[in-house]
Amino acid sequence: MRDWKELVKERLAVQGLPESDEEEVIAELAAHLEEAYEDARLRGLTEGIAVEAALQGVEDWHVLAANICRAKAQEDSMNHRTRSLWLPALVALLGASVSLMLTQFLGMQPHLVWIGRMGMTFYWPWLATLPFFGAVGAYLSQCAQGATRARLAAGLSPALIMLIVMCLILPWGLLIDGLDFFRLVSFGLGLANWVVIPGVALLVGALPFLKGHSSREGMPALE
Amino acid sequence: MTKRIRSKIARGSGELAILALLAEQPLYGFEIAKQIGERTGGTLQFTLASLYPLLYEMEKRGWVEGHWQTNHAGRDRRYYRLTPGGRRQLAPLRQEWRAFFQALDSLAGVSHA
Repeated sequence: MRDWKELVKERLAVQGLPESDEEEVIAELAAHLEEAYEDARLRGLTEGIAVEAALQGVEDWHVLAANICRAKAQEDSMNHRTRSLWLPALVALLGASVSLMLTQFLGMQPHLVWIGRMGMTFYWPWLATLPFFGAVGAYLSQCAQGATRARLAAGLSPALIMLIVMCLILPWGLLIDGLDFFRLVSFGLGLANWVVIPGVALLVGALPFLKGHSSREGMPALE
Repeated sequence: MTKRIRSKIARGSGELAILALLAEQPLYGFEIAKQIGERTGGTLQFTLASLYPLLYEMEKRGWVEGHWQTNHAGRDRRYYRLTPGGRRQLAPLRQEWRAFFQALDSLAGVSHA
């Protein structure tokens, strides 16, 4: 009786896989070859021809080994996440930050709106640039075949980062200065000022790039 | 048609075929290849070399999961079944392929060819 596991082990040089994965792959491929061989025998082929028929499914074992390693490697999903989320988010964030810095550097004064004793500052020229950066983030994510959520997060990243920063600051502020109504309202206005309104502006730009399903290679890319 | 496009179409159709088949019942690799060949009249055919890298890729993405099972003859087989993620993937994939074929049909009349 042929040792199919040994045959696969000899031919398949998978490198870089954990030993347990390698053994599992060898066992699975050996089981497949054995089934193919027996199927061929049931169709009346002689033993030699049945072995050949079973092995016909692999033209090049080195290519198969490389394809299996690539398919099993975790690196790909990390790279995909970097390409489809972190990098587009970083570009949108940097763009929005530089735009705000330039607005201030060029001496453009914010428009102050007073609500009781508290003021909201609107850098209109900066807000006007945000749809562009929202679009850039979502577009780059779309190009990297990011999922809709990744495209949205990449487009909204400047507002999301501000939200995180504010949520981190709030407990410290409350801890140091104590809780009062004025502080909470002030936090709410800050949230509207630096998260909600910029978020809406970013979303306007990102929206056109949120449509469409994003299975990475589920559909042929004909463009 | 370039080799790259052909390869992407083959890969995409392979993913859909496997997902659709596993939506019916869990199957092991050889049976997946056999059933796809039989049910498409040999139009779609998986070899060992084309099937397993795709299955492992789909497993990595969380669309399918494999588990070893011993049959009544004492033979170990790795059965694949659809995960909830894979099931969610199936409907939009079907929709996209339908749209793709309709687009191709309106352009080249392939359904009447």
